[in-house]
Amino acid sequence: MAELKERLSTFHGGLVLKHHKELSARSEVVQLERPDSLTISLRVNRGHVSEPVVAVGDQVNKFQVIAQPIHPFGAVVHAPYSGTIRAIEERPTASPDAESAPCIILDTDDEDEQIDYLPPLTEINRPNLIKRIQDAGILGMGGAGFPTHVKYDHQTRDLDHLLIINGAECEPYITCDERLMLDEPEALVKGTALLMQAADAHRAVIAIEDNLGGVKSLLDETIETLGLAHIEVVKVPTIYPTGGEKQLIKVLTGLEVPSGQTPLSLGIIMQNVATTKAVFDAVEHNRPLTERLVTVTGDLVGRPGNYLTPVGNSFYQLLAAADCPMSDIDKLVVGGPMMGYPMPNPDIGVDKTTNCLLLLTEDSTKPDLTTLPCIRCGDCVKACPQDLLPQQLFWYIQGNDLEESRNHHVFDCIECGACSWVCPSHIDLVSYYRYAKSELTYLDYKKAKAQLAKQRHENREQRLEEIKAERQAKRRAKAERLKDKSKAKKEISAVLDRIKSKQSDGDKSE
Amino acid sequence: MTTQLNTSGSPHIPAQFSVTKVMGWVLVALIPAVFAHLFYFGVGLMVQIVLATAAGYLFEWWCLRWRKQPLKPFLTDLTVPVTAVLFALCLSPISPWYVSLVGMFFAIVVAKHLYGGLGNNIFNPAMVAFATILVAFPQSMSLWLPPSGLVQTVGDLQHINWQQTLGFIFTGLPADVSVDAVTAATPLTALKTGLQQGYAQSEIVAGAVFGDFGGLGWEWIANWLFLGGIFLLYKRIITWHVPAAVLMTTIAASIPFYLFNADIYMSPQQHIFSGGIMLAAFFIATDPTSGCSSNRGKIIFGAGVAILTVLIRNFGAYPDGVAFAVLLMNLSAPLIDRMTIPQPYGKKGNP
Repeated sequence: MAELKERLSTFHGGLVLKHHKELSARSEVVQLERPDSLTISLRVNRGHVSEPVVAVGDQVNKFQVIAQPIHPFGAVVHAPYSGTIRAIEERPTASPDAESAPCIILDTDDEDEQIDYLPPLTEINRPNLIKRIQDAGILGMGGAGFPTHVKYDHQTRDLDHLLIINGAECEPYITCDERLMLDEPEALVKGTALLMQAADAHRAVIAIEDNLGGVKSLLDETIETLGLAHIEVVKVPTIYPTGGEKQLIKVLTGLEVPSGQTPLSLGIIMQNVATTKAVFDAVEHNRPLTERLVTVTGDLVGRPGNYLTPVGNSFYQLLAAADCPMSDIDKLVVGGPMMGYPMPNPDIGVDKTTNCLLLLTEDSTKPDLTTLPCIRCGDCVKACPQDLLPQQLFWYIQGNDLEESRNHHVFDCIECGACSWVCPSHIDLVSYYRYAKSELTYLDYKKAKAQLAKQRHENREQRLEEIKAERQAKRRAKAERLKDKSKAKKEISAVLDRIKSKQSDGDKSE
Repeated sequence: MTTQLNTSGSPHIPAQFSVTKVMGWVLVALIPAVFAHLFYFGVGLMVQIVLATAAGYLFEWWCLRWRKQPLKPFLTDLTVPVTAVLFALCLSPISPWYVSLVGMFFAIVVAKHLYGGLGNNIFNPAMVAFATILVAFPQSMSLWLPPSGLVQTVGDLQHINWQQTLGFIFTGLPADVSVDAVTAATPLTALKTGLQQGYAQSEIVAGAVFGDFGGLGWEWIANWLFLGGIFLLYKRIITWHVPAAVLMTTIAASIPFYLFNADIYMSPQQHIFSGGIMLAAFFIATDPTSGCSSNRGKIIFGAGVAILTVLIRNFGAYPDGVAFAVLLMNLSAPLIDRMTIPQPYGKKGNP
């Protein structure tokens, strides 16, 4: 169904941004040393918290499972190092607003007596692969954190699936995916082949942005060496947000993911390159997902680059390794400058989805920009990759007419921040859309609840009504029977007999 | 742990745009037309621009104080000069000073601040000002200076110098100078009155105030406005939808009348080059605040302005109807907006 187009398509709007990638792309990956303690968040995918299966004081092995999901969209959590569980408590996490979530605090040691590798796969087939992805605790490492196995555990077998490996790292500054493609092309291509098997896909595309010089030839070479002809590398234009799932699908296939649905409805599965590499590690090396590449960058960072760090490592450790003077830092952003979220302090653990730490000075953040009223200039309309009317949405949300913002398709906003960036009045538009979405979701929930309560009440009323009617019918039938005198006598004597016999039974037992 | 970093929302890279810049580019785009105006009609426009801007800032400052709004961001956003220049371009260059003052009062105080200030005005402030003047001071609006080219051709008309211009504006016409001696009708007024008096259009446009394809002088102001508009398109301050809709609909709507009776209905080229339609196409109807937001809406909006203008010019009492057409369409903009919500990504084809 979903076919690659000969000529690439385009999406509406988008921005050409200064990419700042040269800062961190050149240097080699640095593997961080084992930190003394890790703060491992148990929350994945915006809110699904996994249940710890260890207790405070427990000694755990490297790669031991320390938490299990209780929700189908949750994920298994493994210990990156052996050590002792110091605490299980709420801590701020690398999520929007640094929201607190249950975390396991692990004091690591270098005993590593026993390493709990995943059991080797007996046979590489679709169900085994999906199970392995789940057991390895793999989730979308591009940012969304959606559990990977769920995407493959689909029932739409009649579609000819297309697998897209998303190497279009469209946000400025971030280079961890680029670095991964340069350093481990073989792992990436092999991982792609595995995912194709898991997806039951006949074709795969690795999409990269056209400003990544040598990556395409390197990947092409690897594909040729490995003889995997059904994997293709395609360069896409470097326009923010090309790397957005919906936008990349539009560019590659010319199709649009129907509103409110997943790419699977088009027979497309998309995966980030880091995730693909994690799948390769889980299958080939039986390693669960416990580490990732994080770009640490910014103008003031002494050694900007990509750092291989265990999940749960404190941002402090990364900043120290990258030689970043905290004193001059105004903003610490997790993710890119367009969609990333600022952290109040660096005392937060790396998450499986943390792809970048961006450190900005005051000059570059300009907190003193005055916000003016919207003049409806329409620059946001031109920039919106979802073809929305951001200024109208803002207008209605400002007036708290949330239903009208729904009519203006607020739920189709992907929160890419393009509108906020171009706004000449410097309005933080995306925050308004987030507010509207969460508020509407809550209102819908309340409405549904009220509806349910109403339904329950009505059901109960009906039930009571029925019982009443039944009783009345019984009484009426009885009255009917008692009308006939002879029958009535019989009935009465029968009742008296019954009472007598009961009494005599009682006497006997005494 | 004690460090508290800045946690203001995304995006985290500085914006490169501002309202001041947008308005600044609009002013730049108006420069050629202003020079053309000065060239043909003398320094009067400059005096009007200075007057209107000063009055505009005075009212703006007063309203901001009154509404307890911060002064600096709103006084530096350059919206007042834009309104003032657009308004002054519509005025007769020798209008008395109080005309400017009253106009800017209606533009800034009534149309802008009474509706909630920057970004909240329903009507285009410059057009509110102009419409007020049209109704309140009909005489001063019907008197226009003859273009300088007329000095040689028509003996009675004198090209006035800047001292006289100032005199006219601030002290009124001297008793010994008759109104007719210094003024000429605007081309559209000439057409209107000519047509009412039973002349054929071809006779009227052979008159002194007409040039090669529109009003003398006016046609060149229109050309330079067009150039400024192209510049705004190039700077991506405006999109093509409104100007294209206004100009093409003006032509399309005037052709049937012209073909029906070329003697009593203006030709499309007179429509385009003699009045305010070029200004409206690129600078007035493109005002985003009082216009439509979707591309389809913009086209409907522009077409509406053009159709109403042609109708008012052909059948109305006023020689030019651009201001009223824009105001009427401003009123309809919210409705058009509601009816033209575009289908976003993933919803196309299945509304």
